[in-house]
Amino acid sequence: MSTLAQTRAMSQRSVLALVRQPALVIPSAVFPLFFAALGTSSFSRAVNIPGFPEVDSFLDFALAGAVVQGILFGSITSATALATDIETGFFDRLLAAPTQRTAILIGRLAGAMAYGFAQTLFFVAVLVPFGLRITTGAVGLMLMAIGGLLTALAVAALMSTMALRTGSSEAVQGSFPLLFVLLFFSSAFFPRETMSGAYRRIADWNPVSHLVEGFRSLTIGEVNATSIAQVVVLPAALAVVTITGALAALAARTRRG
Amino acid sequence: MSQSPIFARDLVRVFGSGDSAVRAVDGVDLDVSAGEIFGFLGPNGAGKSTTVRMLTTLLRPTSGTARVAGFDVVTDADAVRRSIGVALQDAAIDPLMTGRELLRLQATLYSIPRTDGERRSGELLERVGLSAAADRRVGTYSGGMRRRLDLALALIGEPSVLFLDEPTTGLDPMSRISLWEEIRRLNADGTTVLLTTQYLEEADQLADRVAIIDHGQIVREGQPDDLKAEVGAPTLFIDVETTLVDTATGVLGTFGELRPTAEGTLGVGLRDGVGAVSAVVRALDEAGVAVSHLEVRAPSLDDVFAEATGYRLEGADTDGATR
Repeated sequence: MSTLAQTRAMSQRSVLALVRQPALVIPSAVFPLFFAALGTSSFSRAVNIPGFPEVDSFLDFALAGAVVQGILFGSITSATALATDIETGFFDRLLAAPTQRTAILIGRLAGAMAYGFAQTLFFVAVLVPFGLRITTGAVGLMLMAIGGLLTALAVAALMSTMALRTGSSEAVQGSFPLLFVLLFFSSAFFPRETMSGAYRRIADWNPVSHLVEGFRSLTIGEVNATSIAQVVVLPAALAVVTITGALAALAARTRRG
Repeated sequence: MSQSPIFARDLVRVFGSGDSAVRAVDGVDLDVSAGEIFGFLGPNGAGKSTTVRMLTTLLRPTSGTARVAGFDVVTDADAVRRSIGVALQDAAIDPLMTGRELLRLQATLYSIPRTDGERRSGELLERVGLSAAADRRVGTYSGGMRRRLDLALALIGEPSVLFLDEPTTGLDPMSRISLWEEIRRLNADGTTVLLTTQYLEEADQLADRVAIIDHGQIVREGQPDDLKAEVGAPTLFIDVETTLVDTATGVLGTFGELRPTAEGTLGVGLRDGVGAVSAVVRALDEAGVAVSHLEVRAPSLDDVFAEATGYRLEGADTDGATR
């Protein structure tokens, strides 16, 4: 009971931190939309390239990339906050109280999940007036929001591992380029069918490609086993791995030297 | 098994290994009685905070044992945490939260039911004089307000043992005195307090007993008055021209033991008491030493500190003491 109450209180603190620091949140909400707008205005004729999926407009295609991009970058925020807690000594304050150690981590991850969920719905809400159409309707949208939540969980846990291992917010933020590389070597901005050579091989192996394609199927295709596996099962499986790593890092950090 | 609220035997903490190993705490024994205010005195880097971090379960001792509120700090750390309140010098308070929100969070961490937590948060905010600022973000608080909130946070679990790590460092004199009063009130209610400080006056004002720590070892321990009485003779401080220091030192040495002082000043423990001052002045005059400043001080904790460590804490900045 007290573990639950502590986790809830720590989660509220993480969400509060996001709400009260719009400057940290806005970039990960605005830049993906900017990329989507830029792509739609610049590459509108790209939809006619052989291998490009059948879409009404480039915007329908671009949504999935924008969502995954926003979540990847947004998830750094909660891990950075965790590292900042370590740097400023707030983490010690929590450890000196009878705090359940896992509540500290899960509280932060819950903040990231809430943000991932909200981000997905936000991107759709902003782009619908500009002609975005979700072919799978409310069911697809809900699956996308859940996928956004799970993706945020997987990435935030990975970044939290770095935060707990290094105790440095700069190190966490320094991983930004790595996420960018993962994103660019994926099908976030163009379909894999239009790629060739090493780029294509990397994109084939990159889990981000499959994640994006799941979101894309739910936007312009249909709800089926493949799209559910890509949007829900894949990030959930990744989350199991990254949370295991984060819990090990938490145990190492709280072993008290 | 000891029933002292704070008990430590041969507590050691080593950082690093091999040639670069540092014994930050090197065989500390502590025995703090129930209801006592115990002052832990020493310059930065002496081992005060490391000792407190071990006693508050944040750091595992390299060797030795410690029990707080009757529980072992290593094998029963959770029980220790439930029994203590901790205000750490270098543990920041989340600037994005309000004072009230932080107290409620802290209440949840101590498994205090929601309604009790809210009531207690209100009472503590009132007690430390932060009711009016309770719903403002901590980022807008002054240093003194943060320290008072820090104290309130440490008190949420109604601890029997309270650790205050340099609670008044960086505070203005008024805030310092108001915090002292609050610590006295808490102690009067029966809370055992271990207070680390580098301010001699603070230890003198508040502590029933003090321990002086230097290079990780306790070099003196006892009641402030007893420790001062042990030093005995009052100290005469004089300022002289640099070129006359050797001559003046020779003269002073005939009146008692030379004592460590801040740079530019000479000090001697007057063997024959204050009555010897006129004789010292005459002797200096006969030796051709002009004195620009002269001062006699009754034995202070600073003298105790100087006698124990060979240097003075008073007048030193935050980075260390004056040799």
